[in-house]
Amino acid sequence: MQNELEIKFLNDFEKNQNIVHKICRIYTTNQDEHNDLFQEITIQVWTNYSKFRGEAKFSTWMYRVALNTAISLFRKSKRRIKTQDFSTVSYKIEYVDYDNTKDLQLNALYKGIRGLNDIEKALMFLYLEDKPYKEIAETLGITEVNARVKMNRTKEKLKKILNP
Amino acid sequence: MDLANYKKVWKNQPEEKNKISALEIYKMTQSKSNSIVKWIFIIGLLEFVFWFALNYLGTKNGALEPYEKLNLINFIDNFNYFHYVVVVLFLILFYRNFSLISTVDDTKTLMKNILLVRKTVKWYVYYNLLNVVVFSIILNILIFNTPEGINILSGIDNESFNQEHMMSVFIIAQIVVIAIMILILWLFYYLLYGILLKKLNKNYKELTKLNEIS
Repeated sequence: MQNELEIKFLNDFEKNQNIVHKICRIYTTNQDEHNDLFQEITIQVWTNYSKFRGEAKFSTWMYRVALNTAISLFRKSKRRIKTQDFSTVSYKIEYVDYDNTKDLQLNALYKGIRGLNDIEKALMFLYLEDKPYKEIAETLGITEVNARVKMNRTKEKLKKILNP
Repeated sequence: MDLANYKKVWKNQPEEKNKISALEIYKMTQSKSNSIVKWIFIIGLLEFVFWFALNYLGTKNGALEPYEKLNLINFIDNFNYFHYVVVVLFLILFYRNFSLISTVDDTKTLMKNILLVRKTVKWYVYYNLLNVVVFSIILNILIFNTPEGINILSGIDNESFNQEHMMSVFIIAQIVVIAIMILILWLFYYLLYGILLKKLNKNYKELTKLNEIS
């Protein structure tokens, strides 16, 4: 039974890992932190997986657990620096290099979102993922009206960051 | 470029290059969490043990011998039984509040419940401090009302000592010790939880503030 659940989880999680990667990119600034947050989200989704009853889509449910982890539970741990890391250039590469994508607009967008606070990040992320206001409000635990007001303010803030 | 265009850019972003394999995901599920909740739980438990041990050692370490002479043992025992009951009640509350924490909840509820666990521990610490203060006050009153009380307690059996003078020194010393203890503890908790909950508090405030905008 446990095995069946594990296999189902691994399958669901692997398929939807892009969501988690996007959240990690928004909430962290380098690859080490990205990996740490990814691992913490994996643990949280797995520990709560038995509570997922399939009423909602797995991805919808995962948005909530993953964002909750990023906003409420994640602690940036001071990583112990391995000696080999000192000699390699890869140590704490900023995302801009790590992305290594030619898509400047996407990079600018990520950078802009990182300039928002944790709650604004969540709002903007859910907006970009095309989530309805009802779901956004339910995920964060605020009213739909508040979600709309806050979203408009956050959009304005992001616009200013993107087009100074 | 406006946000609608950025949204298109977001939608068309390439898939993550460093995909994590199912095996690696499995390995991650087997590793230990490093979440704030875990640390609050561990620190909370340690606090229970710390205060309990302090109380227990204080009464078991031979420190009670002089009180036997003063016939205060009954009072101290009863005080301790009461204390144990309160500690158990706090522990039950601690576990109950801890079990409320769920990442499946909405963000605001989750944060509220995490802070509730922290509050339980905070009240436990307050209770212990109050316990020390109340215990000291009652004990002092009982000692002062016993003839030769201070002499028995301090082991000084000298008539030439001014009783009044001894009493003031005794009281001042106790107040100073308690004040220093509270200051050290306050600083310790301020640093410990301040660091741990800084982000959570900030985000919780941000969410609660939202209720005021409409």
